[in-house]
Amino acid sequence: MTNTAHTIDTALYDAVTDALRAEAKKVLESGTAAAVIGWQAGRRRGSAVPAIVTDPADAEKLIFSPSCVNNLALYLTKAKKEVREKGKLAVVAKGCDMKALAGLMGENQLKRDDVYIIGVACAGVYGPAIRGNAPLDDGTLARKCRECAAELPEGADVSLGTVPRRPAFTPHEAAELARLEAMTPAERWAFWKEHFSRCIRCYACRQVCPFCYCEQCLCDRNRPQAVETTPRPAGNMAWHMVRAMHLAGRCAGCAECERACPMDIPLNLLNRKMAKELKELYGHEAGFQAKEKGPLAEYREDDNQSFIK
Amino acid sequence: MPKIITDQNLRLLIDTLVGEGKRVIGPKAAGTLTLYEPLASAEELSLGELPRRSAKETFFPLCENILTYEKSSSGTTVHDIDPARFPETVLIGARPCDVAAAPVLDAIFSWDFKDEFFLERRRKTTIIGLACTTADDACFCTAVGLSPADTRGSDLFLTPLAGGSYRCDVISDKGEALLAAHAGLFAETDTAEPVSLAEPQLGPLDLDRIKAWLDTHFEDPLWEEIAARCAGCGACAFLCPACHCFDISDEGSEKQGARRKHWDACGFGKFTYHASGHNPREVQPHRYRNRIMHKFKYYHDKFGQRLCTGCGRCIRACPVGIDIAQIIDDINRK
Repeated sequence: MTNTAHTIDTALYDAVTDALRAEAKKVLESGTAAAVIGWQAGRRRGSAVPAIVTDPADAEKLIFSPSCVNNLALYLTKAKKEVREKGKLAVVAKGCDMKALAGLMGENQLKRDDVYIIGVACAGVYGPAIRGNAPLDDGTLARKCRECAAELPEGADVSLGTVPRRPAFTPHEAAELARLEAMTPAERWAFWKEHFSRCIRCYACRQVCPFCYCEQCLCDRNRPQAVETTPRPAGNMAWHMVRAMHLAGRCAGCAECERACPMDIPLNLLNRKMAKELKELYGHEAGFQAKEKGPLAEYREDDNQSFIK
Repeated sequence: MPKIITDQNLRLLIDTLVGEGKRVIGPKAAGTLTLYEPLASAEELSLGELPRRSAKETFFPLCENILTYEKSSSGTTVHDIDPARFPETVLIGARPCDVAAAPVLDAIFSWDFKDEFFLERRRKTTIIGLACTTADDACFCTAVGLSPADTRGSDLFLTPLAGGSYRCDVISDKGEALLAAHAGLFAETDTAEPVSLAEPQLGPLDLDRIKAWLDTHFEDPLWEEIAARCAGCGACAFLCPACHCFDISDEGSEKQGARRKHWDACGFGKFTYHASGHNPREVQPHRYRNRIMHKFKYYHDKFGQRLCTGCGRCIRACPVGIDIAQIIDDINRK
């Protein structure tokens, strides 16, 4: 039974799709960008996949739907040099993706003038394994979207669509964080140990993360080896701790790592925890503004040092 | 002549095998997913969902020691792992797409180098396959010449019957031996009807035609079109029943440690990275091309088999929606 009080009106997505096609066509025809990175329909019913469109005639293929889960900022990083070689890129960004773009600009990975950002209003996307024309509601909405406050990207070159009134959803991530924080350190350790024991080191979490653009990942080093590379408890734990620390204050909350994990490890929970710590300690959080330096990349006399024991 | 085994007796068979000290591997619920794992008892068998990872781990573990070492004042001692100590194993309830990968893997692991770790586990494993009654839109075994009732690689093969029993077909001598050792649990066949089996959407593709195209299209815009969006993770290869690349790493301290064999994937940027600094597969489209070529051309050139059984795991897991079934379907139409 669908709880209509908790169902999102999805008319927005069709309106955005129409506007997106027109905008992409204009951008390609005018030469504003050599390629538009967006989403197109996949073969499987109701699925959407990233698309790199260079021909104005192909702008018609672009879609926006609750299946458009990917954070396309990934394709603007130096990890995807074959995409960057196409020339100036236009990218479609939801609110959470926009934060990643702002983060990349802050870290000098992307110049604002080198990218044309097509912002799209977003009322939420599907959680894992939901596709087709399922209603967007309590049962199908991605966890990250339940408490989203970035439905409209700020700082885009153009913004498409307006967000319908969204029902209030019970927060999932905040509740899970509270549950985690109520645990004793030993219980928390056991919680993560159990989750990380399933990790197979496929690195899907790293590869879909816009902030994991390092050309030499610490975890690929073998001379000397910094972190055990084999999928065993010690290396798995080390890998996920290294990643959590590297993303602290940088993670934009797109939750792509968690979505991509084939072993269902709740990675965004770890990211949210780190983001919360950074906010409490330094008053810093990832947003729409490009900041030159995050709190872990600079030293200030008045830095909070209460955690040093 | 096929036999019949009731669900109750199938579970009794599992408990009996466990009681005999055998390693029994079958689908088991593990948190939010199902995995092929050692069963402590028949109660743990969970046949509803396709396990997230394939059954190849029965012979080719995610990670295993191939030797260990210790250093002391008197010198260094190296301990080899003795494959003779690997346990007798029964893999039960494995899907046809997983089981069909076993003979495919046999070819590579018994080629110029005989991989004792793989081969000894294979020798010691009896496989009881299970026909599929459901398929989703990622399943495409039918496109690559298999089917939800394909017995390739199985020693015994179960087909669900209306009423909860299974028809059991003997496929190999190994299967015959297992059945003979537990004959009391099986009955002669009667007229029980099989339940309807799964029907994947994609019909058979012309694999020779696909290979012929691949033979002449190492360079083609298709690779860029498909693979520019590939994120370069190893989820597809790690979940695949037929992918078999591995790396070997030495890990430990100066006092003790191990040499380990663990899964690797051609999607990784460092997979072909040379010590010289040169990388012959510099960008993701080159790496993804290798994946398709390996599955539908190179492996066939070398071993006369295809390196894909249509399980669809790569399609379900791909974070950027790359769909191998669509790719070979498109090539088939070219």
